[in-house]
Amino acid sequence: MNNKKKRYAMLVDLRKCIGCNACAMACKSENDVPLSVWRSWVKKVEKGQYPDSKEFFLPIVCNNCDKPICVTVCPVNAGIKRPDGIVYIDPHRCIGCRYCIASCPYGVRYINPRKKIAEKCYWCHHRVDAGLKPACVLACPTGVMTFGDLNDPRSEIAKAIAKKAVQTIKPDMGTDPQTFYIGLEQSAVEAKKIKEE
Amino acid sequence: MDTQVLYNIFHQDAFGFNIAMYIYLTGVSAGSFILSTLAYGFGLSQYKPLGKIGVVVATIVLVIAPLFLLFHVGMPYRAWHLFIYINLASPITWGSFLLILYPINCIIYGYFMFKEKMKLTRIFGLIGIPLAISVHGYTGFILAFGKARALWNTALMPILFLVSAVISGIALMILVFVIKESYFSKDKKIDRELIFNLGKLLAWMIVLDLFLVACDLIVLSISQADAQAAARLLLRGKFSFLFLVVENLLGKIVPFILLTVPRLRTMATTIVASILVVVGIFFMRYVVVLAGEFLPLL
Repeated sequence: MNNKKKRYAMLVDLRKCIGCNACAMACKSENDVPLSVWRSWVKKVEKGQYPDSKEFFLPIVCNNCDKPICVTVCPVNAGIKRPDGIVYIDPHRCIGCRYCIASCPYGVRYINPRKKIAEKCYWCHHRVDAGLKPACVLACPTGVMTFGDLNDPRSEIAKAIAKKAVQTIKPDMGTDPQTFYIGLEQSAVEAKKIKEE
Repeated sequence: MDTQVLYNIFHQDAFGFNIAMYIYLTGVSAGSFILSTLAYGFGLSQYKPLGKIGVVVATIVLVIAPLFLLFHVGMPYRAWHLFIYINLASPITWGSFLLILYPINCIIYGYFMFKEKMKLTRIFGLIGIPLAISVHGYTGFILAFGKARALWNTALMPILFLVSAVISGIALMILVFVIKESYFSKDKKIDRELIFNLGKLLAWMIVLDLFLVACDLIVLSISQADAQAAARLLLRGKFSFLFLVVENLLGKIVPFILLTVPRLRTMATTIVASILVVVGIFFMRYVVVLAGEFLPLL
């Protein structure tokens, strides 16, 4: 197992999500994310008319894509994909040109208003390297999120993904996202054109 | 089934006014440079009076343009990273080298032109044409690489940008030429023949531009959901006034009528048409950049 390459992935079981935002809060405090920007958040969508209606939640973290367009377009190689699949930004190299923000199909990147550089979720790689789980995974009270190595067939995530129907957000973008969802509601991933009118 | 978004996060807009302005200025520069090479590179002698002002405008505008990039980036004093940590897959890397090579070539070309060394002028003029095309065309690739934005992600983008660059270059050349001839030349006599020739060239380039915009819109309005939303945004949404009225009616159709209908063709209407085009093409950049990133992705 140890000589095999790692490929980290995240599995989000939306059937268990109660929309409590604990993951978003844990992320904020773990990664010192400034006000007005978020590395992870819970999108909420209401389908139907009360009383025949239901709220759907979509916890969003970076997909840490296998073919990340943000890494392709970064002019200074500040976006880096690690051999284990985690995509992170070198804060000393980023010039804040915002091209990655323009090209990311998932809108997970932002400019840190204090440091003026691009930042995003990188599955808390500082915790993962120390053998811990990402902050959002630990904070979730209902165990929605599973994090682990896809290439290890005995890992919890590899077993779950092998046995269940999983979806990703916008697979048509050709970015090969590595955050998988169970029970993804179509209307939650479509951009509602609320700004259009 | 009606669904509504109760809660979502939208981050900052990636590009904005600064990038629109930057793309506009590189376009003006490339257009002016290409006009300047008509006489000195290709030997079309009736355009000879444009050679010198063409290269001067191209160089000055291209020195101003990157300043907008420095206003735009968060860490301007890290700009040297662009030349150290090179990623050849990124259009911005192509651009950072073109933005160095093109003005240097402009200055050499202009220097030989003012020294009346025709052979060398011709060589550097011909080298400059692919550089001018690239220094503006790459901005089309920057937007086209934003693959989730339906308005940007089209192979038409570089060619659409180049055609509108030539339009804005010709229009600005007409204006600069008229100003120079009426205030800074000795005999204060404007070469009307040249102005009307440029006007005709401008009119037919406008037709080409309108054709490309129509191609883009027709395919957008029938393509996948995001593309249809982008087409609706331009035709009926928040950007419809800027796109339909300012960019296309005032910026292209009205100048085309002023320039082609023989009864309307005077010095004054040509100048008015050029001003309309110069302003209209700026709004073309503005609409493409701002409308492209206007729709939320998730």
